[in-house]
Amino acid sequence: MLFKWNKLGRVFDPTAVKDRYFINEFAQAPHVVVFDDFIRVYFSCRPPADEHGQYVSYSSWLDLDRKDLFKVLRIAEHPILPLGELGTFDEFGTYPVSVVRHGDEMRAYYAGWTRCESVPFNVAIGMAVSHDEGQTFERIGPGPILSYSHDEPFILSGPKIRRFNDKWYLFYIAGKKWIMDNGRPEPVYRIRLAISDDGINFQKVERDLIETKLEADEAQASPDVFFRDGRYHMFFCYRNSTGYRSRERGYRIGYAWSEDLLNWHRDDAQTNMDISEEGFDDEMVSYPHVFELDGETYMFYLGNGVGRFGFGAARLER
Amino acid sequence: MLWHKLGKIFDVQNHGLDFDVKLYAQGPQAVTFNDHIRIYFSTRRVDPVNGKFYSDIAFIDMDKGFKNIIGHSKKPVIPLGGLGTFDEHGIFPISPMRHNGEIWAYTTGWSRRTSVSVETSTGLAISRDNGTTFERYGTGPVLTSSLNEPMLVGDSFVREFNGTYHMWYMFGKKWNMANENEPPSRIYKLAYAKSPDGIHWHKEEAVQIVPDVLGETECQALPTVIKIGDRYHMYFCYRHSTDFRVNADRGYRLGYAWSDDLKNWTRDDAQAGIGLSENDWDSEMMCYPNLFEIEGKIYLLYNGNEFGKHGFGIAELVSA
Repeated sequence: MLFKWNKLGRVFDPTAVKDRYFINEFAQAPHVVVFDDFIRVYFSCRPPADEHGQYVSYSSWLDLDRKDLFKVLRIAEHPILPLGELGTFDEFGTYPVSVVRHGDEMRAYYAGWTRCESVPFNVAIGMAVSHDEGQTFERIGPGPILSYSHDEPFILSGPKIRRFNDKWYLFYIAGKKWIMDNGRPEPVYRIRLAISDDGINFQKVERDLIETKLEADEAQASPDVFFRDGRYHMFFCYRNSTGYRSRERGYRIGYAWSEDLLNWHRDDAQTNMDISEEGFDDEMVSYPHVFELDGETYMFYLGNGVGRFGFGAARLER
Repeated sequence: MLWHKLGKIFDVQNHGLDFDVKLYAQGPQAVTFNDHIRIYFSTRRVDPVNGKFYSDIAFIDMDKGFKNIIGHSKKPVIPLGGLGTFDEHGIFPISPMRHNGEIWAYTTGWSRRTSVSVETSTGLAISRDNGTTFERYGTGPVLTSSLNEPMLVGDSFVREFNGTYHMWYMFGKKWNMANENEPPSRIYKLAYAKSPDGIHWHKEEAVQIVPDVLGETECQALPTVIKIGDRYHMYFCYRHSTDFRVNADRGYRLGYAWSDDLKNWTRDDAQAGIGLSENDWDSEMMCYPNLFEIEGKIYLLYNGNEFGKHGFGIAELVSA
C-alpha cells in the first residue's frame, strides 16, 4: 500500500461555534494554505436553513497552529465573499473554495450556487482575488470563469486549482445527469480537468478523468492532486448514485495516479482511508485534501453528513 | 432601407397544427428550399403543474409568394431537454442555417429559476433530414454565461462569411428588483462571438456592439444580419426594461445598424425603413426580426403585437 494513513481525529467542529453569524453547521471541503506560524484552512459553512428548509453556503477560514493542528488560533469574522447578486450564478452559495498564492495576491476558485425549479440547484465556477493575504476576496467579475458546455450540461463544481509546469490546472466535477431517487432529483457528476496559461481563460480537456468502480452512474468529487516521486497522485471521493445518505452507499475516498496529468490510473487499493467504527466519520469519509507540512504529509477530510459536523485529519505513515 | 409590408402571413389561432398549439408563433426564422420557404417558430403550451409556459419549435412551409401554407410540422422538431438541462422548459427562438448538407440550428434554451424567472443559454441542434427533426449537439449549451456576461445568453444568429462563423447574440447584464410587488426585470444587450467550426466560440466578452437609444437600461434582443453588396445590415428589437408588456409606448421596436467590416456597427434606426402600422396586428409592437434572401429578393419576418401571440408577418425589401 502506497498511502497508509493514520487518523488523528476531528480537527474542527462547526456546531461548537456560537459567535459567527455564518457558521451554524458544516465545515466542508477544507483547503490549506501554509503561513509561517500557522496554516489557514479554507472551508465552507452554512447558517441555519430558512423557513423553507433551504440553505445558503459561505466560504471562510480558520487558522491552526503550525505546531499543533488541533489548536484553533482564530476563526474569520466574516465570509471571504458575500453572496452573488440577483440572478447570478453564485446568488445562493459559494462552496467549495480552492485558494492559491500568486505573486502578491491570492486567488480563490470557488463553486457558485443558484436555485432552479425542476432540480434544486445548479453550479458553476467563479474566481476571486485577495490582496490581504487571503482574509477577504473580491470577485473578478459577476459571472463564472468556467461554465456549462455541450458535454458538461450542469453542475460545474468542486474546483481544485494547481500549478504544474508553468500552467494552471483546474480539476473540477461536471454533472452528467440528474436521477430521480424516490421523487428526489440526485446529481451524477464526474471528475474533469481544464488547463490555462493565465488562470482565467481555461481550455477544457472534455473527458472524464477517473473510471467508475461502484456503478456506471457513480458520482465522484473533490479531485485533490499533488506531485511526489515522479508521479501525480489524486485523492478523491465517490459514492453510489442513489441512497447515498446511508452508511452503506455513502462517500468513500479513492485514489488514482498519473504521469502526465491527463491519463489517470485508478487504484483504490493503494490507500486505507475508510470509515471508522465509531466517531464523526463512521458513516462516510469524503472531500480529501492532502498537504505537506514540516516533513509530514496530512490529509484533511470530511466525516458524516458531508462535513456537517466538521473535518478531521490523518497523517501519512512514513 | 425601404420595406413593403406584405402583412401577417401566419396566425396560430386560424391554422391548427397537429399538436396542441393554440398560443404564440414567436421568433419566425426561415430556411429556403427549391420550391418553398420553411419558417420555424416557437409555440407555447401551458404547464399543468403551475400554469407557466413551455415553448416548443414547429414549422410551416409556404409557397414563395407567401400566399399559401403548403405544409407544417406534425410534432415539435426537437424534444425539450432532460431534467436539469439548460433547455428543459423551452426553446425560443431557434435560428437555422444550411451547413454542408445539414441544417444547423442555434437554439435558445430556457430553464426556470427561483429568485428570477429564467436563465437561458445557446445550444446547437443539427438536422440530417432536411429540417424535419433536429438532434442536440450534446446535452449542454455551446454558449453560456461567462465572467462579464453573467446571465441570459441567447438569441444567437450565426452566418458564415469569409470562412469564419460569426455569431450575434444577446447577453444579460443585470436583473433589477424595482420593488417588492413586481417580479425582477432584466437588462440585456447585443454582443458578438466568432468560431472556426460553428461549435467552439470565442466571445469578445461583454462588448456591446450596438449603442443604446433608450439609455443604459435599454433591452436589445434577437439580432439578424444580411449582406447586401459590400455592406452588412443588422436588424434587432429593443425596448424599455420595465412596463413594456402592455404599454405600447415602451414595447419592442425594430432597430437597425450597418457595418462594412463586421467589427464596427453604426446604429441608425431612422434608416430602418419599417415601423409600426396603424390599428393593425403590428401597430403596438414589432419584434424578433429575421432576414433572408430568396431569388434575389430580401425579406424580413417579424412578430407584431403581444410578442407574437397571434402570429407573424413579413415585409419585402424595396430598396437598400
